[in-house]
Amino acid sequence: MAVVTLQNIVKHYESGGAPAVDDVSFTVEDGEFMVLLGPSGCGKSTTLRMVAGLESITSGRLAIDHQLMNAVPAKNRDIAMVFQSYALYPHMSVRDNLGFGLKRRHTNRRLVRQRVEEVAASIGLTAYLDRKPHALSGGQRQRVALGRAIVRDPKVFLFDEPLSNLDAALRVSTRAELVRLHRELSATMIYVTHDQVEAMTMGDRVCIMEHGRVAQIGTPMEVYLNPANAFVAAFLGNPPMNLMPATADGGAVLLGGRRVAAVAAEGDVLFGIRPEDLTPTDDARAAVISGRVASLEPLGAETLIHVDRGDSTVIVRGPRVPSARLDEPIHLRADPGMIRLFDAATGEAIRLPEEAMT
Amino acid sequence: MAFASDRTAVASRPRISTAALRSAALILFIALYTAFAAGPFVWVASMSLRTTTEINADHYAFPWPMHFEKFAVAWTESNYDTYFFNSAAVVLAAVAILTVVGGMAAHCFARYRFPLKGVVYFLIFSTIIFPPQVTVIGLFQLMVDYGLYNSRIGLVLVYVAIQLPITIYILEAFFARIPGDLFDAARIDGYSEWAIFWKISLPVALPAISTTIILNTILLWNEFLYAVVLITDDDKRTLPLGVLRFMGDQLEDVGMIATGLMIAIVPVVLIYVFFSERLIQGMTAGAVK
Ligand SMILES: Nc1ncnc2c1ncn2[C@@H]1O[C@H](COP(=O)(O)OP(=O)(O)O)[C@@H](O)[C@H]1O
Ligand SMILES: [Mg+2]
Repeated sequence: MAVVTLQNIVKHYESGGAPAVDDVSFTVEDGEFMVLLGPSGCGKSTTLRMVAGLESITSGRLAIDHQLMNAVPAKNRDIAMVFQSYALYPHMSVRDNLGFGLKRRHTNRRLVRQRVEEVAASIGLTAYLDRKPHALSGGQRQRVALGRAIVRDPKVFLFDEPLSNLDAALRVSTRAELVRLHRELSATMIYVTHDQVEAMTMGDRVCIMEHGRVAQIGTPMEVYLNPANAFVAAFLGNPPMNLMPATADGGAVLLGGRRVAAVAAEGDVLFGIRPEDLTPTDDARAAVISGRVASLEPLGAETLIHVDRGDSTVIVRGPRVPSARLDEPIHLRADPGMIRLFDAATGEAIRLPEEAMT
Repeated sequence: MAFASDRTAVASRPRISTAALRSAALILFIALYTAFAAGPFVWVASMSLRTTTEINADHYAFPWPMHFEKFAVAWTESNYDTYFFNSAAVVLAAVAILTVVGGMAAHCFARYRFPLKGVVYFLIFSTIIFPPQVTVIGLFQLMVDYGLYNSRIGLVLVYVAIQLPITIYILEAFFARIPGDLFDAARIDGYSEWAIFWKISLPVALPAISTTIILNTILLWNEFLYAVVLITDDDKRTLPLGVLRFMGDQLEDVGMIATGLMIAIVPVVLIYVFFSERLIQGMTAGAVK
């Protein structure tokens, strides 16, 4: 149905300052679910709004189906968008909200009505068709916003944090429903969120943004397992990847005086390991990290062990009932295949040879 | 426990009487104010049913017998039917133009950034700082020059001009509170800026729109100064000028003036009675849901 291509897209707002979006390039393939993920203010919404045609593009090329879209007004782009605020028309019934976009394109009232009722039935809104938005619950409003996009059968669906105003339980079920919807429609979708769980569970690919720039693009597993830089490593995961300052001497990485990995680099590096890739061990010599148990956080399914190693704290994902005792020394083994190294100055990932552990 | 409750009982007794005193004072004030505001109206209403001879004999007597025929006389013999039609036509036209033009201007001020926006805004609002007595002479000359003097169309244009700033002001404040996402959603739904104004801005802002309609209708229906300066022909006069008919050089027909005033006032009172709730709603309307 549609391929969306962004080439070196830049956005400067009139208010000046640093660009809100800085040289962003990626392609969303036909039928792909692309998630834009990043902390608040990193330019996700701005990027999405440029695709929608709601913000002008300062420079760069935006194409939908290989047609340049930079100068095409929003109304002619044949896209649909779900807003965080839902943006339902308050003076219209649910029926009219759903049909508003269709009426603009199709004059056949009967067909519009039929399509609206069909979509309303598919997302469970039939009983509410004649209500005004103010008489709906938050979840129902969200559905109307979703339905308004589906009804149009657009080339591209855009979502700007559509779940963030829902309560936790509803968010989980709606998440699953959106995934199902994507599969059924096999439509091209771009989904903005700051919630990494949404990104990991929904996205075919995730584009992680930082300060208006693309930090990394890849499948959820790729970006989780092989972060391109320290920002992505520290942003993804809950708790995120442990990052510790270390040094490299051209042959090996030294962490707290121990050789922990072989690498060709030299100078200051960041040693990264995810909490689930550390395991407590009794063998102090096999350990990569040693410290003192600073606190234990039982989460039910697992327990997070905070290990104080003097200049930094490391978090370990332990079993439900860990053997570690508070304030006692602890030694940690790292899964050698899971060690990641980053340049301390630039934050860029450093490639490791296959067998990293010495 | 008992001790504590005793104490509160003792403490609360004087408080109750203070509250009663307060509400009594309030009721007294409201009663006085109502008498102050409604008194003249009641007086004119009573005079409208009495002849000038009766009024001269006793200004405040109860209107008995009631001369309802005076209304018929004013309407059929003193040209009040024409005045009424003129007022209705002029006010309707002016309010219609004000609502559409004011609405569009307010929409632009609230929604768009454009060059010289501040200057345009200032120019529109600078007109309200001059009292009409200052501008009316120049306006008179202007209207004569453009052949709009002594014309109802000219009066409509003047009415639009004097009420436009306040109309824009009220509507802009309301339009600015309509969430921008609504307009973005309509754009994405395929609508032009023009269509968005008619299908989103105006209907969503209906409380504010009706406020300005009622406000402008009442103000312009009663407008006297510009009308008396700009209209001379008797058959182009609006209702507030109807009193001139009963004002001779020597003699004022007070009884008929009162009757004419009542004819002029009643529509306004009716509008207010039926729409006051909406008016207050519009003025105090909260954010759009
Ligand atoms: N209309 C605007 N005018 C000026 N600056 C803006 C505007 N909208 C967003 N910004 C700025 O652009 C940056 C990116 O914003 P946004 O795209 O909304 O971030 P996100 O959606 O990732 O939270 C922020 O620094 C924000 O302050
Ligand atoms: Mg945002």
